[in-house]
Amino acid sequence: MEKNKKKGSRFGRWINRLFFPQKEIQDIMKEEQVAGPVKTIIKNFTHKRLAMAALFIFIFILLFVVIGPYIWPIDLGYADESQKYIPPGMNMLSLPSDLVKTGIRDIAPGTTFGLGVDVNGDLYTWGHTAATGVIDLADIPEEVKNANIVHISAGDDHVVAVDDNNIVYAWGNDRLGQCTFPQEIQESNENGGTINVKQIEAGYQFTLLLTEDGYVYAWGNRSMCDIRIKDDYQGRVEKIVTTYYEHMALLDDGSVAYIGYKNDSAVRTQIPEEVMQPGTVEDICATKDSCAVVTTDGRILTWGNVATKGLDKVPQDKEGQKPVELYGGRYHYAAIYEDGEVVCWGDNTHGQCDIPESVNNGEPIATIYAGFYQNYAVTESGKVDTWGLRGYLLGTDELGRDVFTRIVHGGSVTMTVGAVAVLISLVIGVILGGLAGYFGGQVDNIIMRIAEIIGSLPFIPFAMILSSVMSNIQINGQALTTQQKMYVIMVVLGILSWTGLCRLIRAQIFAQREFEYVTAAKTMGLREGKIVFKHILPNVMSVVLVSVTLSFASSMLTESSLSYLGFGIPAPQPTWGNLLTGANNSTVIQQYWWNWVFTSLIFGITTISINLIGDGIRDAIDPKSADR
Amino acid sequence: MVKYVLKRLGYLVIVFLIVSLMMFAIYNLIPSDPARTEAEKLRQADRNMTPEQFEAIYQNLREQYGLNDPLIERYARWMGFIPDLPDSQGNAVHNGLLQGNLGYSQFYKIDVIDQIGAPMENTIILNVVDVIITLAITIPLGIFCAVRKRSKIDNAVQVVTIVGNSIPQFIVAIVFIYIFAVLLGWFPVGGAETPGASFDSEFERLLDRLYHMALPVLVMVFSGMAGMTRMVRAAMIDNLSMDYVRTARAKGLNEKVVIYSHAWRNALLPVITSIIGWFLSIFSGSVVIEQTFSLNGMGYLYWVGLRNFDYELVLAMQMFYVVVALIGNLITDLSYGLVDPRVRVNK
Repeated sequence: MEKNKKKGSRFGRWINRLFFPQKEIQDIMKEEQVAGPVKTIIKNFTHKRLAMAALFIFIFILLFVVIGPYIWPIDLGYADESQKYIPPGMNMLSLPSDLVKTGIRDIAPGTTFGLGVDVNGDLYTWGHTAATGVIDLADIPEEVKNANIVHISAGDDHVVAVDDNNIVYAWGNDRLGQCTFPQEIQESNENGGTINVKQIEAGYQFTLLLTEDGYVYAWGNRSMCDIRIKDDYQGRVEKIVTTYYEHMALLDDGSVAYIGYKNDSAVRTQIPEEVMQPGTVEDICATKDSCAVVTTDGRILTWGNVATKGLDKVPQDKEGQKPVELYGGRYHYAAIYEDGEVVCWGDNTHGQCDIPESVNNGEPIATIYAGFYQNYAVTESGKVDTWGLRGYLLGTDELGRDVFTRIVHGGSVTMTVGAVAVLISLVIGVILGGLAGYFGGQVDNIIMRIAEIIGSLPFIPFAMILSSVMSNIQINGQALTTQQKMYVIMVVLGILSWTGLCRLIRAQIFAQREFEYVTAAKTMGLREGKIVFKHILPNVMSVVLVSVTLSFASSMLTESSLSYLGFGIPAPQPTWGNLLTGANNSTVIQQYWWNWVFTSLIFGITTISINLIGDGIRDAIDPKSADR
Repeated sequence: MVKYVLKRLGYLVIVFLIVSLMMFAIYNLIPSDPARTEAEKLRQADRNMTPEQFEAIYQNLREQYGLNDPLIERYARWMGFIPDLPDSQGNAVHNGLLQGNLGYSQFYKIDVIDQIGAPMENTIILNVVDVIITLAITIPLGIFCAVRKRSKIDNAVQVVTIVGNSIPQFIVAIVFIYIFAVLLGWFPVGGAETPGASFDSEFERLLDRLYHMALPVLVMVFSGMAGMTRMVRAAMIDNLSMDYVRTARAKGLNEKVVIYSHAWRNALLPVITSIIGWFLSIFSGSVVIEQTFSLNGMGYLYWVGLRNFDYELVLAMQMFYVVVALIGNLITDLSYGLVDPRVRVNK
């Protein structure tokens, strides 16, 4: 019986093992499972919801600023007065649907806005129309609303229009007389439009008006813009175009002439001889400081300041095709060829030359309205395709630079500087801390005294003087470049911030020396150096990790504080600090809030999440610290 | 103890000498040449000067200014260890930092020592107010959070302190200017006092200055609160878990007595030392705060000096900062021993 019982139980166990293999043993293993310290830390960390959320946010921001600069490249020298302090918005090309439905008569693309006239002569505006704090170009005067407008043109901050009775209207900024009509026009307006207007063009701060008789009137900013017309040309002008300060005319004999008095402008001095001959030119247009013509034999010639923006690079693949019409924006040209294809060339910062697919593949284009950074292609059936500057996601700053791009690039600079500075301080801290902990005695004393001296210096003032002095040093008679100044800041921050880490590592090594595993290593006859750097240091690393994470955040804070004060990375190169330099006056804080809100937000979120991650790691390493 | 203090003082002097030499050397790295500037002025005045004459005058001036002397000699002269270069009468006197000559500010065209007075006053008022308010808030808050550990209020305070600790001071300043100066209009945007105002009494003038300092103080309190609150909280939690607290509770003592009479007194030890060290920083001022609010304080003066390459002013102020920091360190170390008898400082 006894035997049987034993057998039975053995059999039972055997059965058990057969059907539920090693279940019990597994449970015991689970209970007594010993995980490595790294695994435990990771497990503890992943259980902290706040820290994990912070980690995800941080990784997202990191990817954003690391990959972002490749997607949205930056031109550090870019500045455009006409684009300054534009609020966030993407509606600069959003034509009102009513305008398209009714039918377009004329469109006037402006700096950051657009105006349109429908076939009934009614006006529409879109985009950012507030040219200054007080002037809003969408405040259309009553008499204009009532008139049947036939032609409209927009300058930087003023708009001119003509109705079917040849009455001329102007509104917007009149500070420089760009809306103050000359005597003749005033009289014509009063007498019900005695001057037959052929064309009206609003320039930067001036206005040109061409009559059917080929006579040109000009008014506006006298000192900057060329508003005097030579009498020789009066009565012979066929078409006028405006650059920033000048203008250019196509005469009725098919030649191009500069009809003003200014001598020194690039558009005047560089006119090709060829186009000044009668019968050579068919169409003319202008950008901010260059002109282009279509010659009678179908070539496009450009002159003026064309090289910088690639305005002279007329696409050559349309050989044999004749351009029909030519349009100029601020830094780009658009042309319609005989076969109906639209071609753009020149500057493409705002996508002015990115013609949508539908333009060249869809219906034939009747006309294009191009100006500043905007293009409106109207098809023969009245549909409109737009391309160019739609707006700024986060607005623009005081020089008209896109805040979004600057935040992306600033983030990558701030993070790089912070990371490299921490790396430098880590290397110095580990080496010196390790040496102090390893040798002890006199070496320890000296290193700790040095750390004490550097640690006791007030950080920001000392970093300021160092960066100021370093930036003024000339190497081979050359001042430092922005890139080199960036390295200077990294090194300065690294050199000034290693002391805390050094002290931490030294203290840790001293504490760890008392542990049994060190005694064990000693009894095994290992050399002291090997014990310190191979056995003790890896055990210290988790504590170091916390300190490094936290000092990464503080490094970023210091860099941005320095840049904010003007002693960090200098201005054209954006960082999260110097993006906010311009924000410490009440006008910017109040009126141009987008200049500081977004930068502050992303910077705040980044540093908060880094600190949360650091706290999370500390709690994960030492669960007891969570009680504090 | 006395021996230890003397030893520390001697050490302090050595460190000061090293740091000042370091600063002087860094300052001398800047490519500036007063002799050439002066010689150029003479050349402007006298158009007929030949290059040889110019060179002679230039070298003469260099000699006169002592620019050809080795760095260490110029340093000793600047510190006042050796007599200054003889003047026109041939008198050579000690006239350096040790004699109270802090230098001449090129930007303000005034002796540095006369320039520092008003900013120092502003900075001290600002920081004293800040320290008092911060302590008045953080210490009770820290104790409260420690006692009510893991309560909703404690968690909320923890979050606020992390935010306050993480966000750079200038962003806090901009946000606070927006909220309190622009939106609500409670405080002025910047400046140390109402410009051009005349006051009936000194008291009114002081009130006006305090009114102008309200917003900077608010910002400083907000960003300075985090560290102190966390420190008080951690110290209190440590002490509340001690055996003597359990004993006190077991005796049946009132909870208030346990917290304020037993635990808090002991938690005070680490806190008080850092407060003492912190207190010395009232002389240094904050560059970021003073620059943002255009408050004419020490930090702002330093910023203006550095902006305008007024290196003599900056160097003098830097030396001042170093002295303040070193004395602060010394006092912190000594106070450890004074406050906590368990710590023996003379080791």
